Amino acid sequence: MMEDTFTKDTPQKGLSTKLLAGSILGLGGGLVGLFQGLQTGDKAPFLGWLWGCSFWLSIAIGMLMLIMIFRVFNSKWSPVVRRQQEHALSAFPWLALCLLPLLLVAWFGKDQAGILWSWINPASPTIEVSSIISVEADVLHQKKAGYLNLNFFTLRLIAYFAIFCGISYWLRKASFSQDKDGDPKWTHLGTKVSAIGIPAAALALTFGAFDMFMSLEYQWFSTMYGVWFFASGMRAALAVTILICVYLVANGNLKGLFKQAHQYDLACLSLTFTIFWAYVSFSQYFLIYSANIPEETFWFTIREIDPNTGLRSGWFWVSMGLIFGHFFFPFLYLLFYRNKVDVPKLVFIVCWILAFHLLDLYWNIIPGREIVPGAFVGYEARPVIGSHLLWGLFSLVGVGCLCAWAVIRSFQSGIAEIIPIRDPRIRESINHHE
Amino acid sequence: MSDIMDIKYAAAATFSSAKELYDAAGKVKEKGYSNWECFSPIPVHGLDAQMGYARSKVPRFTLAGGVTGFFTGMLIVWFMNEFDYPLIVGGKPYFSPIYPFPVFYELTILFAAFGTLFGMFFLNRLPRHNHPVFEHPDFGRTGDDKFMIVIEVEDPKYDDEETVSFLQEVGGQSVQIIREPIV
Repeated sequence: MMEDTFTKDTPQKGLSTKLLAGSILGLGGGLVGLFQGLQTGDKAPFLGWLWGCSFWLSIAIGMLMLIMIFRVFNSKWSPVVRRQQEHALSAFPWLALCLLPLLLVAWFGKDQAGILWSWINPASPTIEVSSIISVEADVLHQKKAGYLNLNFFTLRLIAYFAIFCGISYWLRKASFSQDKDGDPKWTHLGTKVSAIGIPAAALALTFGAFDMFMSLEYQWFSTMYGVWFFASGMRAALAVTILICVYLVANGNLKGLFKQAHQYDLACLSLTFTIFWAYVSFSQYFLIYSANIPEETFWFTIREIDPNTGLRSGWFWVSMGLIFGHFFFPFLYLLFYRNKVDVPKLVFIVCWILAFHLLDLYWNIIPGREIVPGAFVGYEARPVIGSHLLWGLFSLVGVGCLCAWAVIRSFQSGIAEIIPIRDPRIRESINHHE
Repeated sequence: MSDIMDIKYAAAATFSSAKELYDAAGKVKEKGYSNWECFSPIPVHGLDAQMGYARSKVPRFTLAGGVTGFFTGMLIVWFMNEFDYPLIVGGKPYFSPIYPFPVFYELTILFAAFGTLFGMFFLNRLPRHNHPVFEHPDFGRTGDDKFMIVIEVEDPKYDDEETVSFLQEVGGQSVQIIREPIV
């Protein structure tokens, strides 16, 4: 019974090998890009790498937050779903490993240390109004140097992953141990870990988003940025949760345990976070648009027009795609009851959401200012399609295969039952009804 | 004064458990009745499906309200800022979907809430002061320890004798015909 909760009839021994091979190929390809980037001073492979990692990281963080929210609310319907998410938490240490090369370059990259995060290298060129100066001469960097310096940055990244991995460890332990002895103390432990873990993980993901993504353009700042990352992660995590559960109903042992009511509730949460994502993303735009301060508006400007010509760039269409494809369509689609309870219809929209989530991260991470001395404003905006996309796809596949391998290994390890059979809420969860 | 002092409303039967009610409801549906109702002191999961109820139509009123609210907000801003009294504020355009979006959004929510509330009232034919089903002596107990099925006279399949005996067949107790007195 405890042997394999992921597959029922078809033992997929070859799957792990394939995933590992995929991760080696993807990460290997990405690493080749990183080396080449270091040689030529090309930022693209680094941006691509960060983008590839961010997608899987956001999903894992969303899973973590969802589990803790289920725990603190002591929700009766969730245990069946929660167990599937607990397996996903096993990806965190591997995600830390995937981000390590970027940190190593920051430490040991010498004159290329600031290749991804330009503020790491004081000699990196930057823009003040439209003249090119060095980072150390930039007053906007000087004022932030107490926070944005390599030592503190490294310490913070370690702290974020210590928080993510630590909470994951305790949540998994509390849940899996209860399978064996049925002691209610594990439920209390899970609740306590979650009560402490929610603020800790919220701070970690907020500052993590600031450090990893917002500081790519260190002059820019937005207090909404962490909330945006949270909302995105929740949407992606809910989508993946639905996919895992639906897959396990069709091919595994969840048939009859994961019911229409669970699916409906997860879909309702997807709708909620679709609205929340739009609210946060729009608020960020709206406040910057209203305040109209150049050091903030440039961030949106390069996502709309070519700053040297004033004409619409490719990013304009990506932005429009996000408004209509990442908000309006899923919002209107998920309003309808049938689309939430009908399995193929829901699978379609969660795949759609995941694809647009990827595009949203791309839109947040990739655009930036390439310093070009002859240009009218002193820089050119990075285009939509470029080598960063190619390198990004390598790391996206590589990191994804590695995470999938870790998660499936957790599913197949026999560490836990298919559902938390001795959870005090399990009877209510199995009998959950709309 | 006429001889008729009341109007026949429905045939009613009480049940002692949720299971009895649930099983009986299935049989009433199978028999093909359409104008009938169940009363229960507790929510009975799956009773809607057992009775053959479709989803509530309230969400349609919500959607209609929301769409109305969105365009009302847009119309207000367009009329005031672009048409009736054009005024430049903060260097922003007279009309744009961006700066007044909170207005659209708030009115969408407000009107959607109105649509939901009043749509529910409309579909339930509320408010009303009295209902003939209150005439049943055991009706008060459906808020406590009794379950009840009521088949209305308006139902095309209704027949005094047949319906009463049918309700007895499916396990109904104290089967009787509810009459609403005319004052």
